[in-house]
Amino acid sequence: MMLTSTYRIIKFAFQNFWRNIWLSIITVSMLVLTLLTVNILLVVNRVTDQTIAFVENRIEVSVYFNEKTEQVKINDALTYFRTLPEVKDVQEISADEAFAIFKTRHANDADILNSLEELGKNPFGPTLIIKAHQAKDFDAIITALDHPRFRDDIRQRNFSDYQSIVSKIRKTTSEIRTGGMILSGIFFLIALLIIFNTVRVAIFIHREEIGIMRLVGASSNFIRAPFLVETIILSVFSILIVIAIMYPALALIEPKFSQYFGPGTTGLVSYFEQNGLLIFGTQFLALLIVTMGSTALAMRKHLKV
Amino acid sequence: MYLSNPVTFYMIHFKNVSKFYPPDIVGLDAVNLRIEHGEFVSIVGQSGTGKSTLAKLLFAEERPSKGVVEIGGWDITKIRASDVPLLRRQIGVVFQDFKLLPKKTVYENIAFALQVAGIPSVRVREVVPRVLSIVGLDDKAHRFPQQLSGGEQQRVAIGRALVHQPKILVADEPTGNLDTLNSRDILELLKKINEFGTTVVLVTHDREIVNRLKRRVITLEGGKIVSDVEEGRYRL
Repeated sequence: MMLTSTYRIIKFAFQNFWRNIWLSIITVSMLVLTLLTVNILLVVNRVTDQTIAFVENRIEVSVYFNEKTEQVKINDALTYFRTLPEVKDVQEISADEAFAIFKTRHANDADILNSLEELGKNPFGPTLIIKAHQAKDFDAIITALDHPRFRDDIRQRNFSDYQSIVSKIRKTTSEIRTGGMILSGIFFLIALLIIFNTVRVAIFIHREEIGIMRLVGASSNFIRAPFLVETIILSVFSILIVIAIMYPALALIEPKFSQYFGPGTTGLVSYFEQNGLLIFGTQFLALLIVTMGSTALAMRKHLKV
Repeated sequence: MYLSNPVTFYMIHFKNVSKFYPPDIVGLDAVNLRIEHGEFVSIVGQSGTGKSTLAKLLFAEERPSKGVVEIGGWDITKIRASDVPLLRRQIGVVFQDFKLLPKKTVYENIAFALQVAGIPSVRVREVVPRVLSIVGLDDKAHRFPQQLSGGEQQRVAIGRALVHQPKILVADEPTGNLDTLNSRDILELLKKINEFGTTVVLVTHDREIVNRLKRRVITLEGGKIVSDVEEGRYRL
């Protein structure tokens, strides 16, 4: 009997879904739109994170040494900076390399190349390019440049611009994160309200049918169960449609980001591929809880005997 | 709980039953009524005299404010919500507006009444065609209610009410939405059902129907029984 009832409940749920196809389409559309909003927010968060990481990675302090600084002192500075916990990487560019890079970079600028020839010697000294783990680490690195061991050998340090960039990035990052959190909260509440009301409307349309089922002796559970199973079907359809939209859309927009940040920097597709089960699994479960809860709540009124 | 055999009990027994609606509307006022197994009783009266309230008390759509309602020896005055489906599976009910499930076919509407009771599919496949044959709809089994005429829809509703072989059939204005010819058909069907042994309670204000029946007529006025006549006529 249990098996027969279960079979009938599932059958009625599919019948409800199919025979009220327009209502099902509207409900699924609302659920899909809600889920898409959540996923767009996820993408925005991911892109923001990656953008911040990208910009932080690009910030470096170039330390230009005097032409005549001995290699021993350069090595000493190199070792010193590498031991700092705030430093991610230190790269040395010799005077010759710096000269070659400069010439390549200005290969089309005849005036500069002529000036260099007139000078008749390499005007560049060795350079250290220092990268930090995070933007906030630059304060410590800039302070470290004043170390008496090599302070007098440094001709120039171009950190002044970075200081303001660093502070701007910090401010923007924190604002974006706070804004994102608030936006996520608002969207979550809107999503809850949309789903709850969509389900309520769907049940309201069925209220007469529910009344008839009661009159012919259907128990509350027998009436409720097909509607709950139908919400599972609606949720499965919605999540499948969202998955079918998200992956091609991500594959389409990722190259646009790559144009700005370089290939693979945002890693949107791979991020969704690696975390797809978690992302869509969590969304499916949340959707199921909200839709089933709303259904049970909306039906309570109509099931009173 | 199941309705008992009618040897020791009245099929329907109202003991001093009243029903009040807030703020001060009287649905039924101290009604005493006994209906025996196999009777065909018409409840008549003008609109607002308590006919439908009486019918609703029979299948626990309403609870009495005072008094006791017994159906087949089962006191349903304070019936638990969980027992209501059990009661309704033993009483067939037919309404003026048919109350069919619009998204189910004729066959499915009738089968649904069995399916909710957990009747095995084999039995459902046996019983439903038989009932369809009784109500004369075997050729329209796979149509949806909106594809049927009013008379046919009412026959589906009667088929659904019959499918459990109920001891009582309550018909609340079953001909209210039908023309004269269809009304006569429905009446013949109800008489046939009664001949099989089912107690039929017909709530109506259709004078012609009552007069054609020549069975027991109970007249309500202001929530009270003002006459109860064997082989009666519609007198209001």
